[in-house]
Amino acid sequence: MGRLLKFNIFRYNPQDPESTPHMESFVLEETDSMTLFIVLNRIREEQDPSLQFDFCCRAGICGSCGMVINGRPGLACHTKTKDLPEEITLLPLPVFQLVGDLSVDTGSWFRELYDTVESWIHTKKQFDPNAPEERMEDAVAESIYELDRCIECGCCVAACGTARMRPDFLGAAGINKVGRFLIDPRDERTEQDYYEIIGNDMGIFGCMGLLACEDVCPKHMPLQDQLGFLRRKMGITALKNFFRK
Amino acid sequence: MQVPLTANHQSLRNHRLDGVLDWAQMLSGVGLILFMWAHMLLVGSVLLSPGIMNGIADFFESSGMAQVGGPLIFLLFLGHFVLAARKIPFRLEGQKTILEQAKLLHHQDTWLWVVQATTAMVILIMGAIHMWAVLSDLPIVALKCAETLQKNSGWLLFYLVLAPLVHVHLGIGLYRIAVKWGFVGRAGRKGLKRFVNLLILVSVGISVLTLFRFWFMTV
Ligand code: HEM
Ligand code: SF4
Ligand code: SF4
Ligand code: FES
Repeated sequence: MGRLLKFNIFRYNPQDPESTPHMESFVLEETDSMTLFIVLNRIREEQDPSLQFDFCCRAGICGSCGMVINGRPGLACHTKTKDLPEEITLLPLPVFQLVGDLSVDTGSWFRELYDTVESWIHTKKQFDPNAPEERMEDAVAESIYELDRCIECGCCVAACGTARMRPDFLGAAGINKVGRFLIDPRDERTEQDYYEIIGNDMGIFGCMGLLACEDVCPKHMPLQDQLGFLRRKMGITALKNFFRK
Repeated sequence: MQVPLTANHQSLRNHRLDGVLDWAQMLSGVGLILFMWAHMLLVGSVLLSPGIMNGIADFFESSGMAQVGGPLIFLLFLGHFVLAARKIPFRLEGQKTILEQAKLLHHQDTWLWVVQATTAMVILIMGAIHMWAVLSDLPIVALKCAETLQKNSGWLLFYLVLAPLVHVHLGIGLYRIAVKWGFVGRAGRKGLKRFVNLLILVSVGISVLTLFRFWFMTV
């Protein structure tokens, strides 16, 4: 027989005026290769059908199952119970709007973020659907891909002390997004254009280097290196602007 | 999130100062680090002999560097406070948020920031008192320092608190600059932490030894 695991789960339904935020415990026997994704589905099926949580791909790809697992933001589908103690506390991600129980609305947050950083290729070239795709060096393509692996789970944002203290902070995911377009040769935006997006305390200069983002990102995005790179890059732009003025 | 400030209109071409202030914050920190190391070694020279320390102090005073440099350092100190204070939550709400966050995450670097902001406030007050006390009572002589400490053990206690706080704050600051600006990348982070721990240990060691050298000096 497997371990008996005790799950303390945050419960609250903001839609229901009767509901108040509280913790509720569920006990479940551990099975082989059990993930929190399996746990939550079993609790919902066997014990409480009203439990709210998000999932979709169950393979660490869609980014919808982010939650705070024993204090650390992480993906439920990526977290095996055998790596956890017998008592497990699950909370919804902070910063994002709560939908109910463990479900938060990361979608609206990221939508707004992408509007702010204008997360698309800016180019004046006319698109010709018949022309062959423009070529790109392998190395460039790979470095863009590396920064494009972010699944928008929101863990880095929820872990960031700065993001919690100032709601206008773009977070590591947002700053990284700008870095992704900055190295894309197809994007015609200039250094100054990027500076206007992240060259301020809402962006890279707001980051205090707490590196919780780096430590929790389930995709192990190179956030520390990316933040350092952009701080230097934007720092130099700031000096150029200051002295040119 | 705020209204996007991103439309690329010429009129919005901003020369916003956040980036320059971030440089200033970093450089004021670096300046204070260099000063503190120099300070530690100068005062620590008493460990070699009080004569050496007196000689160094005399050099700085007779050349006027102490009289001019002292207040300048004080300005740097205040400047650093003003710059770094942009990041400190002064409202209870913000303080509660960052504390809750640190507790929730049990994440070392987040705690380090809390330690940095807290030590900062104490250093601001105690450092100011220290600078006032020393600079308003020049010249600096080893025997006089010893006498001050021995006559009033409150001063010994004062410095036994201040010195470690400064070195902890300084060490975390050094670490933070290195990771924030990417001088040390992902691969070097662990090693950097070890180095900073060692640095703090050695610095606090030298400072405490110096203080006890004064304490046990015959006056
Ligand atoms: C001997 C005195 C001091 C030394 C050597 C020192 C050194 C440093 C260094 C190197 C940093 C890192 C700077 C950066 O991240 O850009 C720093 C950060 C900081 N310092 Fe100081 N400091 C001193 C005194 C003070 C005082 C009096 C305050 C008063 C409030 C203060 C408040 C802060 C704060 C809040 C930070 C964190 C800033 C951030 O995370 O962005 N420091 N300090
Ligand atoms: S950077 Fe990492 S933690 Fe942040 S949203 Fe992307 S995948 Fe999630
Ligand atoms: S390094 Fe910057 S973005 Fe990452 S958690 Fe810290 S403050 Fe937030
Ligand atoms: S369910 Fe898609 S990332 Fe977890």
